[in-house]
Amino acid sequence: MTVRTLNDAKVATAQRLAAVVAQLNRIVVGKDEAMRLALTCLLARGHLLIEDIPGVGKSTLAQALAGTLGLRAARVQFTSDLLPADILGVSIFDAPAQAFRFHAGPVFNSVVLADEINRAPPKTQSSLLEAMEERQVSIDGTTRKLPDPFFVIATQNPVEQIGAYPLPESQLDRFLMAVELGYPDAVAERDLLAGGDRRGQVASLPALADPPTLLEWQHEAAAVHVAPALLDYVQALLAATRGNTGGETDAGARRGLSPRAGLMLLSAARAWALLNARPMVLPEDIQAVFPSVAGHRLAAGARAGALQARALLRAVALP
Amino acid sequence: MRSAKVLVRALPLARALFARRPARGVALSAHQTHWLAMLLFAVQFPLLPFVPLWIGLFGMLLVGLRLLFLRRDRAHGEGPSRPASSWLLLVAAMVAGFAIRQDFGYFAGRDPCVAFLFILLGIKFLEARSSRDGALLVCLSGFLLVALFFYSQSLLAGFAALPALLLIAATLQQLTVPARRAAGLAAWRSVLGSAGRMLLQGLPLALLLFVFFPRLSAPLWGLPTDRSAKTGLSDRMAPGLISELSLSDAVAFRVDFDGAPPPARQRYWRGPVFSLYDGREWSPLPKPQPGRFEPAGSAPISYVVTLEPHDKPWLFALDFAVAPPGPAAPTGDDAPDSTLALLTRDQQLIAPTPVTQPLRYRQLSVPKASFSAGDGRWRTEEIAANLQLPRNFARTHPRTLALANELRGRHVGDAEFAGAVLSHFNEQPFVYTLSPPPLGAYPVDGFLFDTRRGFCEHYASAFAVLLRAAGIPARVVTGYQGGEMNPRGNYMIVRQSDAHAWTEVLLDGRWQRYDPTAAVSPSRIEMGLGGALPLGEPVPLLARLDSHWAKGLQLAWDALNHDWRRLVVGFNHERQRSLWQELDLGRLPAWQMTTIAILIGTAWLGLLLGWLAWRRRRRDPVHAMWQTLCRRLARAGVAREVHEGPLAYTARAARRWPEFAAVFDIVGEAYAQLRYGPDVRAERRAAERRLRRALQVLPRARQLARS
Repeated sequence: MTVRTLNDAKVATAQRLAAVVAQLNRIVVGKDEAMRLALTCLLARGHLLIEDIPGVGKSTLAQALAGTLGLRAARVQFTSDLLPADILGVSIFDAPAQAFRFHAGPVFNSVVLADEINRAPPKTQSSLLEAMEERQVSIDGTTRKLPDPFFVIATQNPVEQIGAYPLPESQLDRFLMAVELGYPDAVAERDLLAGGDRRGQVASLPALADPPTLLEWQHEAAAVHVAPALLDYVQALLAATRGNTGGETDAGARRGLSPRAGLMLLSAARAWALLNARPMVLPEDIQAVFPSVAGHRLAAGARAGALQARALLRAVALP
Repeated sequence: MRSAKVLVRALPLARALFARRPARGVALSAHQTHWLAMLLFAVQFPLLPFVPLWIGLFGMLLVGLRLLFLRRDRAHGEGPSRPASSWLLLVAAMVAGFAIRQDFGYFAGRDPCVAFLFILLGIKFLEARSSRDGALLVCLSGFLLVALFFYSQSLLAGFAALPALLLIAATLQQLTVPARRAAGLAAWRSVLGSAGRMLLQGLPLALLLFVFFPRLSAPLWGLPTDRSAKTGLSDRMAPGLISELSLSDAVAFRVDFDGAPPPARQRYWRGPVFSLYDGREWSPLPKPQPGRFEPAGSAPISYVVTLEPHDKPWLFALDFAVAPPGPAAPTGDDAPDSTLALLTRDQQLIAPTPVTQPLRYRQLSVPKASFSAGDGRWRTEEIAANLQLPRNFARTHPRTLALANELRGRHVGDAEFAGAVLSHFNEQPFVYTLSPPPLGAYPVDGFLFDTRRGFCEHYASAFAVLLRAAGIPARVVTGYQGGEMNPRGNYMIVRQSDAHAWTEVLLDGRWQRYDPTAAVSPSRIEMGLGGALPLGEPVPLLARLDSHWAKGLQLAWDALNHDWRRLVVGFNHERQRSLWQELDLGRLPAWQMTTIAILIGTAWLGLLLGWLAWRRRRRDPVHAMWQTLCRRLARAGVAREVHEGPLAYTARAARRWPEFAAVFDIVGEAYAQLRYGPDVRAERRAAERRLRRALQVLPRARQLARS
């Protein structure tokens, strides 16, 4: 789709973003939409929740994203004995200097991969989630700013697995999107099996951007135009999640989307439009991100929620 | 026994009808139920004066009960309101039906059936649960609203029906939107506003149908006659009946004169004529014989009477009619409708059926005081009947007979005798009063010699009896005397308070009018009841002479009502034909008339739709273009889904018609830009041009469908 009204700077941004997506697609094969959604999430300054079984490439995605964008990445494996300090960092008495020295935890990286977040006890979960919300950490009375951009990719096992503390709704709400990776299709899997050492490839990825560039992109995404007609549409969608479709209410729905979720939906749609080289949000952009943004808020389980969200999309007329 | 069998057979049917089945259609929302309740109240309210009090209260109570249930259910948080048990309601309906039967004494008539419908509406509302029930209720409300006009077709009734009409439109509208989106009563302003607008838009169509839809010259079926008593002259006369009638302000009929109205002393409106006297009551001859109209002679008075329904067959005409009553509006070619009424030998106009609906007719009269009694085999019988006196007259009325004999001895000529009786009334201390003292078993004797206080019927009765006692044929005529000109509208109102009785005496082969009341109280004839009675008498307000402000107001209101009667209610077959004649449409065959009417209706609808489209286009040309495209593609087989965005839709169309992919590309992009893009004028103009050009390139739906 050609859009004639992009100015040169935006054309440049779009081209560079397309290159980023292309490079990601070379590492995580056959997951174009998930890649785009992950990048959209980053551009919209939101955090990403990946709900899937182990071994489908969640960590690879996080590392490839960090490598391609030139960001520092860290990985935390959440376990049932993980403490908040293990994530945030700890002050240790330095005998020679006669002072406490702060050892920054893994959270002080631009991309944090929180693996299997629902295995950790709630206290540890919430320490990370507070950091995500406030983008700063207070330890021993000192407030430390987290790096900007700051992007958390949390993965969680499907809830029915053993030994999991499901995230409460209030904390799920902190994630902009929840996506599923799913098994790769046959061609992609064959490619993967034949492709050799992926870790090595990820380590040697060329950086196509740096943190200041990413911040600029985030600003650009936030400035994408949203027409009043689309605000009506977003409101209609929100109302529909609250059961005001005029039809029957779905018994499986937990509850409707919050106004904050509405704002998040808008910023995700803006980022998606930027990724697709558009100076304004179209209904299609909202529809593209809506299942990922609304799914984990509507029902337990990203898959069930996304299905529900898609049904809602079909039911709500475009104003 | 048989009815029990029928009942047993009907039971399974009733069970099937009333079984709790899943509600068909969408459940009624609380808001919709509120609108229905308002509608029912609005329909019930104007009928309240016409149904028995308990029916009115019970019907409204049922509606209120449903509202109460609704509140209770909402307080308990149970979704849609639970309707009442159908079995209970069936029993309630049967009990109500029985009670109505007991109250009226019969069931198959207009009044009990309307009362039953009144109750049934409330019962149906109690069990209404789906929008289908709601639509049925709206329909039934329409029926009940029409029933209002069985009772009154006045302007006031028309006004009273307006709120219900508005609510019918509003409720229907609220029933068509999805239940969740129905507006509450709080939004009455916008809901009633839009309903009113729609009604107004439909008004020209209603007018068109009013003027052009053919009216039947006779109703398809008659209204069932009820045993209701209407005010008006009776078919018999006893002392007290007319004075009782004179207490009523009600309008008997209204008259539009073509020229100047006749002077007050000539305004004798002939009603029933009574020849038989049993000592107390006067009654008419059992078999009326056909009569002959008086010759017109000098120029007759031509006028149109608008008669209020009085449930009796007679029509009123000024003494004496010279032609049968005809249709109020001349239809040109038609001869006067001779079936409207027949003339009897005693110059009464009798319609074939009782007048139960307002009736308008044109009448020609020549004001005279006498008419030829005519010849033929009935003459002797007529004379004998009009000389008849009650049995034992000499024994029961000795003083009357003595007075007649005494006067007869002094006056040999019949006319002189009649004049002597009048002078007797005039010279003796007789008093004209609305409230005469009660009379005994033989009222004429008692009145002439004891009380000497009476109303017109006493004088007419006594006068006729005295003449018969002297061997002169005489009879009593009832009707109305007088009438008041309404300066607003320039027509005459004749009220029940103008009811009058006078006499006719057969002199030299002519029936000569004698009004003994005039001998006692000449001002009754010249100035009406208000002028004749002293202030203490209970004269109805509107019959009084003084110009009370309320009377002026009433006259203005009456003039409005008269126009309403004349132009709207009285717009019958004849008037319709004459209007067509005036519009030069009378000669057209029916199919051409129909075509013209349909064309005008279609033109109006087209005008409305065009106006709506134009308004939309002017407000949003881009959206209009997009709509055009969507319609075109939908006709070609690719309809837009409600949620489909412009790019997704045009992409789908491009897959269907790859040869126009580039065009669809431009359309989708340009529309997306215009609808969702930033408001940069130059860019918008360019995008609009691109969109317009692309739409011009795109072929019509039919070609698209073929390719």
